[in-house]
Amino acid sequence: MTFQQKNITVTLVNFLLILGFYLIRVTQLILIESFTLDKIIGVWVTVVVMAIVVTIIGTILTHIISTIIEVIKTGNEEPEVESIQDERDELIDLKGTRVTNTVYSFSVLLAMLTFALGQPALVMFTLLILCGIIAQIAGDIFRLRLYRKGF
Amino acid sequence: MGKSQIKNNIRTLRFFNDEMTQKELAEKVGVTRQTIIALEQQKYSPSLELAFRIAHAFGVSLDEVFSYESEDASD
Repeated sequence: MTFQQKNITVTLVNFLLILGFYLIRVTQLILIESFTLDKIIGVWVTVVVMAIVVTIIGTILTHIISTIIEVIKTGNEEPEVESIQDERDELIDLKGTRVTNTVYSFSVLLAMLTFALGQPALVMFTLLILCGIIAQIAGDIFRLRLYRKGF
Repeated sequence: MGKSQIKNNIRTLRFFNDEMTQKELAEKVGVTRQTIIALEQQKYSPSLELAFRIAHAFGVSLDEVFSYESEDASD
């Protein structure tokens, strides 16, 4: 598994955890009947900050752990971790981003449709962030699939 | 338009170049070893620039490394 694959796997796990947190938090808000715009914006901010911080920390940790594993495997104190991004990595990244954008576009359409069909704006905002996380997960899964199967 | 594929002889050329390793070739052409593996397994078609760099690394012309095969080729 290359550094890029490890990095995508870590990001995928992070976003799955964030998705779990988001669903639990929204369910809690609905159950205690305090599902208001203020609360949802609070969850929005938490999710966005979590996504940024966790992704940065995840990348750094992946690099550190990869280096430690390489030192243990090779015994070399200055190991070479293949962290360069070549044209294939860039192409896979672009294709993954395209999947993320496509999924998110349909999700935005779906969210707006709920609003058009008479649901409150709160439902639309809740769906928007949920779909953003799902789109990111879909893109990461597609990237991993391309690394595994080639194209 | 039929399905087409770019075939390559990278594995053979490595063998005839003092059994050059995938890592050595990857370092020479500036890509990761995984990309060389994907190329040898015909799972990835390189950019024109990378194709030229690979041919240059072996000291041969482009058509000695890569060939184009099309299913609907009539000739």
